[in-house]
Amino acid sequence: MARPPEDRILLLGNEAIAHALLENGCRVASSYPGTPASEILSALAKLRKERGVEMHAEWAVNEKVAFEIAFTGSLTGLRAAVSMKQVGLSVASDPLMSAAYLGVKGGFLVISADDPGPHSSQTEQDSRLLAMMARIPVLDPSSPAHARELVAAGYELSELFEVPVMLRPTTRVCHACQDLPPGKVLPFPREADFRKSTARWAATPAFRYELHRKLDEKLAAIAAWPRTAPFRANPEAAGPKAVVASGVAAAHAREILREAGLWDRLPLYHVVQPYPVHSEFVSRLLSSHEEILVLEETTGVIEMQLLDRRRVRGKLTGAVPEAGELLPEIIAEAIATFAGTGADTARARDPERGGRRPTLCPGCPHRSSFYAIRKAAPDGIYPSDIGCYTLGMNLGGVDTVLCMGASVSQAAGFYQAYRLSGKQVDIVATIGDSTFFHAGVPALIDAVVQEARFVLVILDNATTAMTGFQPTPATGKTAAGEPAGSVDMEALVRACGIGFCKAGTPSRLPEFIGLLREAVAYSHAKGPAVVIAREPCVMDRSQADRLPAPVNVFIDETCNGCRYCTTRFECPALLYDEEGKRVAIDGLLCTGCGVCLHVCPLGAIREAPPEGKAP
Amino acid sequence: MGVFNIVIAGVGGQGVLLASRVLAESALASGMDVKQNEVHGMAQRGGSVISFVRIGEDVRSPVVMPGTADLLISFEPLEALRYLHYLKPGGRLVYNKVPLNPSTVASGLATYPPDVEERIARSCPGSRGIEALSIARDAGNVKAVNMVMVGSVLPNLPLDPRVVEEVVKEISRGKGFDVNLKALAGGVAAAGA
Repeated sequence: MARPPEDRILLLGNEAIAHALLENGCRVASSYPGTPASEILSALAKLRKERGVEMHAEWAVNEKVAFEIAFTGSLTGLRAAVSMKQVGLSVASDPLMSAAYLGVKGGFLVISADDPGPHSSQTEQDSRLLAMMARIPVLDPSSPAHARELVAAGYELSELFEVPVMLRPTTRVCHACQDLPPGKVLPFPREADFRKSTARWAATPAFRYELHRKLDEKLAAIAAWPRTAPFRANPEAAGPKAVVASGVAAAHAREILREAGLWDRLPLYHVVQPYPVHSEFVSRLLSSHEEILVLEETTGVIEMQLLDRRRVRGKLTGAVPEAGELLPEIIAEAIATFAGTGADTARARDPERGGRRPTLCPGCPHRSSFYAIRKAAPDGIYPSDIGCYTLGMNLGGVDTVLCMGASVSQAAGFYQAYRLSGKQVDIVATIGDSTFFHAGVPALIDAVVQEARFVLVILDNATTAMTGFQPTPATGKTAAGEPAGSVDMEALVRACGIGFCKAGTPSRLPEFIGLLREAVAYSHAKGPAVVIAREPCVMDRSQADRLPAPVNVFIDETCNGCRYCTTRFECPALLYDEEGKRVAIDGLLCTGCGVCLHVCPLGAIREAPPEGKAP
Repeated sequence: MGVFNIVIAGVGGQGVLLASRVLAESALASGMDVKQNEVHGMAQRGGSVISFVRIGEDVRSPVVMPGTADLLISFEPLEALRYLHYLKPGGRLVYNKVPLNPSTVASGLATYPPDVEERIARSCPGSRGIEALSIARDAGNVKAVNMVMVGSVLPNLPLDPRVVEEVVKEISRGKGFDVNLKALAGGVAAAGA
């Protein structure tokens, strides 16, 4: 096959970051999975194994723990990195604030992936605001190649100023693919060497004041560090107006300026370090241009550091929309308005498009769990959590979703609120196995102490499915698939003080409904009860041998088209035929889980003979 | 050449991402600059999926702007309609004619718009519908719809068809080799029909 001269390879932004971490001597890396950041650690764990590099790469139980492990690696002088999605940074915000004061020894990168849109997140929060609050520098990559460069720059910056450095890719960097030259992993000889200094690593408030002062001095110096200074994308352009952009918005802006014929008359400044913005750049910008448009995602972080409100346009002035992703068409419009040129009108969208909501996969065990919950507690309140099973809302089995682990505390909150009115309601919360370990355990301990009366169903599919099948603490595998320690979920639940903890198989529907009823009765009488719904994820190839043999199902002529199965069980393989006024099974989608055999009120869904010949 | 913009649309699980990968790898093997971008996460569970492949000289942004796509490949008619506004005037649409019901339609809660293909033909004359499912089935696997669709757009790409075939061979090493190549050839034949 024809190969380009440099033998370039296609890398996802997250893979490019993983390559760069290895190429720059990262030795301790830790993460908790979350879109769009998940592939950073997966790729790193795989690369480490392939290249035979001695390093620690782990999926931690949550982002706070992940942060603390990587940060401590850096205290010993090793280069380290923690990666997570933006809402995960909120979980790790406690150590982040303190680590900024203490500083680091070996280079330490905090990689927080933002999700403007949002495509797959609870919020569009801008991680750079937390970096500002912690007072650490941030780097905004604009492409996979740029992310790779900024890992190197970030390590240099971190070691030079002994400060944690945030790398803040967004979805369009993490999940963009680009052709890149394969890098070299050179030896990086360093050994762990922790130098004790209680005044620093265990600083009491008196020392913290001093550390705060030092941090401010570091920031002032970082705002003058040449390597991360803004640069001109089009040095030959001159004019009274200028555009300042960072991240993928800068990549969009480059193409838009060219296409709009503004390349020569609208200077474009690419900001690489959005906090702290280089101080000399700010004064030069304000002295050489009359009007400045700032393009950045998601909050006006650069914009708020350009301290002349009358001449700066952006998110804060409404020149750029505050909510949502800065797609190229939005940037094109903002630039056209700013430059005073006419905007192109794009082809009109077809108005009636019909939505396509995501749904649980055919054969997914969560579907059985939600169906069973609604059978066992039909008038219940159903708090739920973050994961694939949020889609249980399609089955009417999810009433609330707040953040990781909140299903448990929200169940307790509902109980306490209704108790005050003397009302007893059925409360059945659902949480995934990984999410339970992540943040559900402290909430469960609290529920035991407060004697909150609800049922918690732990949906244990033995993997972190939503983000790409990472191991959970119960899996017993490392990020690279090697054997690891594991936690016994039942023992943990009991150790929290739970008196009722039973495991069941959701696809054995009648039994499972019975188990849930037992748990609901127990919860009303005694306190929190836990049911572990244990069944493998059908999409996880590593668990394929645990799946039961498929059952052949067919729908007989007694189906009256009541649509109970398609709405209450909502399996994509059950199709309502508008013309025939009855339901049919899509043989391409059906996995043969056989659960629907128990769902039809008329018993019209039946098991076919093993040959698979429906009469 | 400048930049050639491709939009690939479909439903989670149809193999949109692999098809994008094939086109991106083919462009790379032809010495072009490549940026490809897609949506991960919840949409993959049966939701609407869109992927951008931008190839050519000096590609900066990984996202295709509406009204600028040279080629829209849709694995499903309703998804073609949903993303039709990405095409530039004179841009080509090639789509799989086999509808996949959204879950709300499958449940009987909504109906599939009855006139999708008419509306496509109206706003995009010269679009081409492909019976990709039966071609994939004939090739040996209904899941090879993505390779059929890649085959069906080969005449519309600024790429040497032999390079694309080599890439399909390479990514199919060990698994689905024959099926994928047959599906690709089936798509090519359908394009010529």
